[in-house]
Amino acid sequence: MSVQTASLPVATQPQKQRFRVRPSRIVLNVVLAAVAIFWLVPSIGIAIISLRPNSAFEQSGWWTVFTAPAQLTFHNYQQLFSAGFKPGGVLDALTTSIAVTVPVTILVTVISSLTAYSLVFGRWRGRTAVFLLIVAMLVLPLQMALIPVASLYKIFDNSTGLHLFGSVIGTIVFHVAFGLPFGIFLMRNFYSGIPHDLLEAGRIDGAGEWTLFRKVVMPIGIPALASLAIFQFIWVWNDLLVALIFLSGNPHQTLTLFLYGQVRALSSNYWVISTGAMISIVIPLIVFFAFQRYFVRGVLAGAVK
Amino acid sequence: MAGVVLDDLTKRYDGGALAVDKLNLDIKDGEFVCLVGPSGCGKTTALRMIAGLEEISSGQVRIGDRVVNNLPPRDRDIAMVFQSYALYPHMSVRDNMAFGLQLRKTPKADIDKAVVEAARILDLERFLDRKPGQLSGGQRQRVALGRAIVREPAVFLMDEPLSNLDAKLRVQTRAEIARMHTRLEATMIYVTHDQVEAMTMGDRIAVINEGVLQQAGTPKDLYELPQNRFVAGFIGSPSMNFIDLKVSQDGGAVRLTGEGAEMRPDDTESALLRDLGLDTVAVGFRPEHLDVAPLSGPGLSVTVVVDVVEFLGNDELIHGSSAGRDVVAIINADNTLAVGESVTLSAPPRRLHLFNPTTGLRITKDGPPADGVAHLVSTG
Ligand SMILES: Nc1ncnc2c1ncn2[C@@H]1O[C@H](COP(=O)(O)OP(=O)(O)OP(=O)(O)O)[C@@H](O)[C@H]1O
Ligand SMILES: [Mg+2]
Repeated sequence: MSVQTASLPVATQPQKQRFRVRPSRIVLNVVLAAVAIFWLVPSIGIAIISLRPNSAFEQSGWWTVFTAPAQLTFHNYQQLFSAGFKPGGVLDALTTSIAVTVPVTILVTVISSLTAYSLVFGRWRGRTAVFLLIVAMLVLPLQMALIPVASLYKIFDNSTGLHLFGSVIGTIVFHVAFGLPFGIFLMRNFYSGIPHDLLEAGRIDGAGEWTLFRKVVMPIGIPALASLAIFQFIWVWNDLLVALIFLSGNPHQTLTLFLYGQVRALSSNYWVISTGAMISIVIPLIVFFAFQRYFVRGVLAGAVK
Repeated sequence: MAGVVLDDLTKRYDGGALAVDKLNLDIKDGEFVCLVGPSGCGKTTALRMIAGLEEISSGQVRIGDRVVNNLPPRDRDIAMVFQSYALYPHMSVRDNMAFGLQLRKTPKADIDKAVVEAARILDLERFLDRKPGQLSGGQRQRVALGRAIVREPAVFLMDEPLSNLDAKLRVQTRAEIARMHTRLEATMIYVTHDQVEAMTMGDRIAVINEGVLQQAGTPKDLYELPQNRFVAGFIGSPSMNFIDLKVSQDGGAVRLTGEGAEMRPDDTESALLRDLGLDTVAVGFRPEHLDVAPLSGPGLSVTVVVDVVEFLGNDELIHGSSAGRDVVAIINADNTLAVGESVTLSAPPRRLHLFNPTTGLRITKDGPPADGVAHLVSTG
């Protein structure tokens, strides 16, 4: 019915009106294009630097490729990849980054959505208080917690003989702990929009809490879950600070640590940095495009009047 | 199949609001019972307690021969149609209907059969693969009904399932539900605030006000013998007229007068009114029972000034006023009354309902009177 009513005015409108472009739109588009170019130029520059010979960096600007495209080469990539998976190489850094980021993303999304489910649909007292406590944790700056948590890890390590500090697992735990407040906040707010009637219909249909979560609430929450997953992934992927402290002494470094290691006071390895940066962009891009299709709007359409 | 017994069913919300107060109702297997009452009277709350969605404060719900107070909804053998449809937005119509059966591990072939059959009954076959968001309100409503019927529960609970439909669809779906009830022979508890819906659909109607059951009975019972003023005013459309009359004794005869009306009770009424010794009584009479013919024996006559005349075809609806009190009448259109005209309307004794003005209870002889006359023993 909405299709009919929506198409009716268009059909009766004169042709001219349908294609008229308002001046404000043109201005808007120009501004948007300018912003896009402004943001894209550095990335394009780095992409081109990574595709030029190492020596060319000192001799000419990257924009010369537009007049002399012959200088483009995959040599830098070949050289970086040739080190294989040895610690200190880019492929090892890539695997380490994945080993940290993927578990963190999965853990944060799963735990957040389960917690949010309980906070919204559970029937226990003190739900609001717990939620407020979690929101309060949002304002805690991560930087403030780095040293105390690191000391905690050391105390833990000393008393158990394990090696949490400096390990991938320790880094994951830290990231998850700091990702959860926002994740729970986001998912709770999204789940709050789901009518309780839906769950009650499910209960009458015979669903237990677990089935309700899996079959009713989670599918509806997918757009929120997808955005949470993307945010979390990119945040952890790009993290340098946490990795710097919690992976210190570990032969396996994340990509950010790997790139950081190439920055020197006097002569940085620009070819390694540009090539490594391009490699580190690829994975988040894949994640983004893979999850993007879940950003469907109007997931709740038709649920209740 | 099973009957439902509500035994002193009570709900007090955390805030202290008493939503349902000692509700007693014995619903027989296969019966169609309507819970009706004004908004906020506790109908939904009562239904939700039967469904197991709301904790019971005190009292009992029995379905079949089991006390179900502590059973979760899924173990009560019920299906519910929600006031808001509550369809799963991410599932197709087919999956919405199949969900309950899938959870009960019904074989796939049986599920398909049940869903297709329900879709056929409800004329939803074309929409089976659509999502609820792509359906009209009426179609969504039917999916909600379909989801309930595929389960073949012992008891159907419906919370104002027609409230979102337009007039035409409402009549259609009403018939659909009535047919469904005949075919499935299941017990149905149907909540509505629309007394017309209740009158046309229910085998029995339970009128609730402010959480308290006012009267339960067949539509005819409620129409002819309302037990109190609330039920009398709630059932029937347009609703019943009420006039307060003063009781006076003129020699041996009892006379009731007031607000431009006069009532001559018959002999038994007179005797009972004398025994009760009330100063005033409220007399109720339905618009459709008024006539312009003059009264020859006992009965009520009221003189009104006509304010509005609505032509209904065969009849006309008169809004009049008598000493400041509104009186509505439906009379034969041949009478052609004009606005501003003064007219005397009358009703025979068997169409009059007397109520105690303080308790609101019907003044009547015990048991249904054979001649339908409102007799004069207070039930209170
Ligand atoms: N969760 C709740 N907490 C406190 N009071 C409630 C709650 N739900 C309902 N009530 C109160 O209980 C009373 C009965 O509500 P209920 O929803 O049963 O009414 P209803 O008869 O279904 O009305 P309607 O016709 O408007 O749907 C109302 O006064 C309402 O304010
Ligand atoms: Mg209600």
